[in-house]
Amino acid sequence: MSIEFNKVSYIYSEKTPFEYAALHDIDLLIKEKKMTAIIGATGSGKSTLVQHLNALLLPSGGKLKVLDFEIVAKEKATNLKALRSHVGLVFQFPEYQLFEETIMKDLCFGPKNFGASDEEAQKKAIHALKLVGLDESYLEKSPLDLSGGQKRRVAIAGILAMEPDILVLDEPTAGLDPQGAVQMMSLFKELNQKYAKTVLVVTHDMEHVLNYCDEVVVMKKGTIYAHTTVKEFFKDTSYLDELHILPPAIVRVRQMLNERGFHLPSDCYDMKQLCSAIAKEVKHHG
Amino acid sequence: MGNFVLGKYLPYDSIIHKMDPRAKILAMLLVLISIFIPAGYLGYAILAVVIVTTVLTAKLSLKFVWKSMKPMLFMLCFLLVVNIFAVKTGDVLIAFGNFEIYSDAVFNTIYIAVRLMLMIMVTTCLTATTKPLDLTLGIEDLLKPFKKVGVPAHEIAMMISIALRFIPTLIEETERIMKAQASRGVDLQEGKLKEKIMAILSLIVPLFVSAFQRAEDLANAMEARGYAPGQRRTRYKQLRFHFRDYMLLVCSAGLVAAVAVLALVL
Amino acid sequence: MKQIEVKNLDFSYDENTHAVKNVSFSIEKGSYTTIIGHNGSGKSTIAKLLIGLLEKNSGEIFVDGLPLTIENLQEIRNKVGIVFQNPDNQFIGSTVRDDIAFGLENHCVEPEKMDEIIMEFAEKVNMVEFLDSEPTKLSGGQKQRVAIAGVLAMAPEIMIFDESTSMLDPQGKNEINEVIRELHTKTKMTLVSITHDIEEVTKSDYVIVMNNGEIVMAGKPEQVMTKEKELFKSNLDLPFSLKMIKELEKNKLKLSHSVTLEGLVDELCQLNSTK
Repeated sequence: MSIEFNKVSYIYSEKTPFEYAALHDIDLLIKEKKMTAIIGATGSGKSTLVQHLNALLLPSGGKLKVLDFEIVAKEKATNLKALRSHVGLVFQFPEYQLFEETIMKDLCFGPKNFGASDEEAQKKAIHALKLVGLDESYLEKSPLDLSGGQKRRVAIAGILAMEPDILVLDEPTAGLDPQGAVQMMSLFKELNQKYAKTVLVVTHDMEHVLNYCDEVVVMKKGTIYAHTTVKEFFKDTSYLDELHILPPAIVRVRQMLNERGFHLPSDCYDMKQLCSAIAKEVKHHG
Repeated sequence: MGNFVLGKYLPYDSIIHKMDPRAKILAMLLVLISIFIPAGYLGYAILAVVIVTTVLTAKLSLKFVWKSMKPMLFMLCFLLVVNIFAVKTGDVLIAFGNFEIYSDAVFNTIYIAVRLMLMIMVTTCLTATTKPLDLTLGIEDLLKPFKKVGVPAHEIAMMISIALRFIPTLIEETERIMKAQASRGVDLQEGKLKEKIMAILSLIVPLFVSAFQRAEDLANAMEARGYAPGQRRTRYKQLRFHFRDYMLLVCSAGLVAAVAVLALVL
Repeated sequence: MKQIEVKNLDFSYDENTHAVKNVSFSIEKGSYTTIIGHNGSGKSTIAKLLIGLLEKNSGEIFVDGLPLTIENLQEIRNKVGIVFQNPDNQFIGSTVRDDIAFGLENHCVEPEKMDEIIMEFAEKVNMVEFLDSEPTKLSGGQKQRVAIAGVLAMAPEIMIFDESTSMLDPQGKNEINEVIRELHTKTKMTLVSITHDIEEVTKSDYVIVMNNGEIVMAGKPEQVMTKEKELFKSNLDLPFSLKMIKELEKNKLKLSHSVTLEGLVDELCQLNSTK
């Protein structure tokens, strides 16, 4: 019941002059019920990778298994629609997919497409809206009347209403202010921990990777460059330099201090611990 | 989209590609006029030779030109059917009992087909060898004399060039929204009529919302950079007539004259 | 010398949304000012008011002593350039070259002189090799650099960056911040950056904090960004270095309140070696 890529490759506009290989022989195993970050430079294949998870893109080569569904390149896939209800994919700037007159109708749109009755869909809609932290008074409002952050919440609720087991988010905090971003990431963490959903987040923000995710997948030029736990990933800063990744502030401070005579432990990501270690060293020195 | 070739620009390197868009537009108009002069089979033979030569000079393959004519085939078949029923002059070619097909019906259709094919070939010569934006510049310059009678040449050109600039952006956007809605279970291929209408709405509404947002942003950016419609401004891209452009015009005018004379003689 | 002066500025989109309430501030010539606030705090509205894209309800705006009125609008817009948030929606030309030319055309620059100017400013933002590229072939950061070149080519005295990096990836952000830093050190241009990046604020000369359409605080970053309570009230956070200093003080270390990480690290290293 996990996500398994087996030598998956993907070529855009195959057999045309615009042919472009975006993924090369991807082998990847994503564990269930974990929160995994997918990082990498723009154009490294992150979006292409995640669009395979709900079969929006079908592999040009190799095969992949998502939950009980198996998709093999060049073979006619069946039951793709069912897969889409199990894997909720939230695109960048999802507020642009809202289109109904009321939030209730928009939230019911997904469940109904997957065959829910009106009553069921409404139940799911109300539940999803609560999950994203909005109360029922919003149900009859127009989605266009909301603020930017609220619109995005409603759009995500529209996916959650489908009750997916796996939630995939493509840069969900783009364009939000820092506080809005933190609230958004906390929401996904809650969905991961309280509701046992497998969460995949495509992001550029290393603070979010460090503070919210369990594992990290690094993509580079259409391949998996690294796949490790977050704690392991931020230990070795020379490796991060190589990838042109600016480490989270706490890692930066630790690194700067260690370069100038401190001996702080490299697996410490907690502000309290780090500060007490610094204080100890300063006082010990005196 | 990929198969639709009518009006598509092909970036080859030929003398026709290098010509001034204004000269090409005027030449096209002249040749179109000559196509409408009834100069019999000889006239059309001359025109066909000239036009095919132009197509080949522009390094366009005849296959490409044929492809751009394909959409017209259906129309021509329809026309033939209409003519068979409507035209009852000339000789009887075939008779099925009471129903007779007359020669004029067939000849009329061929006559129209030939004219239409030549017209498409001429326009293809223009659009396939001229970047859409250069075409816009050409139209703007040619419309300039009509400014006095109220034709907003510059504004028209600005609108066309902005539309051209945003077509790829909007196509990208459309694909993205389609994928986003597909993730919510939208199926554009299957489903009942009501579901299909919903599917289309789920695409169109977001597309419009975002297009309006873009339009507002763009208007702000243009205004902030000093643009005001109707205000005098200079133009970076200047078109220049070369010897080859004059030659093109002289030849095209000559063609019209030749066909006209031929028509009078006949 | 004051280059921008805003007095009692008031603006509302409609009866329900009072976006800017009785705002007054001034910006020094040659300074680098940041305006910070959460989304919807009114900071971007101020940018649009400053260049007359929105019409104020009441109050006054002066640029170089010149009041912003319909008559003066063009003159003021010649002095004030602005780079917006969305890289796609402010790319007007069909290629980089055409986009930089757009503003020049509006200023009625002679076509023969344009190539030279386009080259000069494409060099400044490092986009010379892309001059004939179409926008779809460029990254967000590259498009924003083109927008900056297009505005700079019109020789403004003041540049406003309206959340110009908020839609970019880290690389794009770096590229734009680099350009802003260069403008600040190498030219005497007045820079106003509207942002929600607290770390950017720490690098500016002067900061204005906005919340609900009002100015909450204004001053040097060292003075303003240390005020935790006021920042929290405006839905903003302390800069990272100050969060850390707070924690270090709990461990009985005495530190000055540096707003930059580098400053804090320097201080800690000094403590570690001299004590």
